[in-house]
Amino acid sequence: MTTRPEPLEVLAVCGLGMGTSLILKMTADTVFDRLGIRARVTNTDLSSARGMSVDVLVGQGMHMSELVGMAPVVVTVDDFIDDAALEAKLVPALTEQGWL
Amino acid sequence: MLSILEGVANNIFSQVPILIGLIACLGLILQRKPIEDVVGGTIRAIVGVVILTIGIDIFVGGLVAFQAVVSSAFGLEPPKSESTLNEFLAGPGSVVPLIIAVGFLIHLIVVRIFPAARYVYLTGHLMLWMSIVIAASLIEAFGDVEPWILVVASALIIACYWTLQPLWIAPLMKKLMGHDQFGLAHTDSTIGLLSGYGAKALKLGNPEKHDSEKLKLPRQISFFKDINVSTALVISVIMLIAIAFADANVVSEQMGDSSLLPWAWGLLQALRFAAGIAILLFGVRTFLAEIIPAFKGIADKLLPGTKPALDIPVTFPKAPTAVMIGFLSSTVVFLIFMMVFASAGWFVLVPPMIMLFFGGGAGGVFGNAVAGWRGAVFGGVVNGIVLSLGQWISWGLYSATAPELAALADADWYGVGWTLLGLGSVLAPLGEFGIWIIAGGVVAITCVILVILGKRQRTAQRNEANAANETTSTRQTDAAADAQPDAATN
Repeated sequence: MTTRPEPLEVLAVCGLGMGTSLILKMTADTVFDRLGIRARVTNTDLSSARGMSVDVLVGQGMHMSELVGMAPVVVTVDDFIDDAALEAKLVPALTEQGWL
Repeated sequence: MLSILEGVANNIFSQVPILIGLIACLGLILQRKPIEDVVGGTIRAIVGVVILTIGIDIFVGGLVAFQAVVSSAFGLEPPKSESTLNEFLAGPGSVVPLIIAVGFLIHLIVVRIFPAARYVYLTGHLMLWMSIVIAASLIEAFGDVEPWILVVASALIIACYWTLQPLWIAPLMKKLMGHDQFGLAHTDSTIGLLSGYGAKALKLGNPEKHDSEKLKLPRQISFFKDINVSTALVISVIMLIAIAFADANVVSEQMGDSSLLPWAWGLLQALRFAAGIAILLFGVRTFLAEIIPAFKGIADKLLPGTKPALDIPVTFPKAPTAVMIGFLSSTVVFLIFMMVFASAGWFVLVPPMIMLFFGGGAGGVFGNAVAGWRGAVFGGVVNGIVLSLGQWISWGLYSATAPELAALADADWYGVGWTLLGLGSVLAPLGEFGIWIIAGGVVAITCVILVILGKRQRTAQRNEANAANETTSTRQTDAAADAQPDAATN
């Protein structure tokens, strides 16, 4: 258990880092707003993601499998605009870290 | 006074970075962001465009070296051009940000007027590139056009494309995703159509029995998904082989006063090519992050109930293996074509790894959804063929504006660009009037299609209501409501 970083650094990842990851960033912004967590969500591509140190990684399974262990919380999504589904995955993962 | 206005126009409003900055600034203000976000976001957007042009410069440098060396290895003349992408963007193409902004507004108006147009196009980088393609096509066809005419005509054309493209892929999208919560906004839509309907017509297989996701691909190839890695690797390998066969004089001419050994120089050039693309993407990403949320915010506010049309990777979680199958078959076909074209003395193709990945992936998922893994292979092959032929044909067509577009293009770029160039070559003698005929025609056709689609939807809804009254089985009403998509995909 650790204390939650302020703000929480969140990275949305996709192949080029500008299409689906940007949509996912907006979805994640909505979720963190709703959870009342101060988070800085950015989006980038697979290569750049490797060089960045963040608290939470979100993206599709195809990419997250390459980034396992590169952040305390790694969440895989199938639907990039479904904020309820993202929240349902984030909440237990954040709770496990003691961040919620 | 007039000269001051002219000075402002020439020095401020014709500069792509400033224009993008203004659009981002406006968007951030409309979203009621705090002042620090408005200032920060505006500057980030401007710096993003500057980074983009630096990336293009490095990319074009690597591209020229690659084409010269590979051409020489096959005893060909390297492809010629009178202009580069950056020169085009600094010159007549400087209005591209205005085309995007005005085009997006027209797109929103069309979606607002016609209920049948229910998707808002949100794939920002493709909004940028397709605007460049349309502007370049009109300039190639009509020569120097007044900037305001170029803006209005291009904006009308691109607004129609953004409206229709998600609609023509919608039936296949629904088949692939199993729902239509969102649409597809991607310039590989024609690859989706060709692989989906092609694989079905050819009866390549059964989507359940031959599902690609039952296959297991070797884990070793997964690093290819990283675009930077696959670009650097493929271009480097080809460059090193070509250096061994190229004329030493051509290589030393390209090397300038470099004191490196040719192979080391070649490897560095190939890596610069890949790095240029990475920088270019970083620049685009930086300014899109400031602009697209504003576009989405405006659309959500003005058009409740519409659906977003999103980038192609939204389909990839449905069939990740099909994506890799499509990508690999696409790449193999492209490399074979590259050899054939060069041996025949036609053209030196440059492997566009990004378009091979996303277009091949599109072909893969749509092919798989209709016909299983064989459909995925077919989709990839189709993309490889379209990209090879497309690059070969397009390089010369854009030699006076931005020939590099040919090597960066997806299938729809070729489709839209060639259509405009074709119409333009017929109507060019009419001058500006010809441009208005094209733009007006595109708008008219779009309106007719949307009216017909709207009528069909209303009839389907009425049938549904009647059927419900007769309390017949609900399965049938579903079939009636989806008559059009199902007829097309089943």
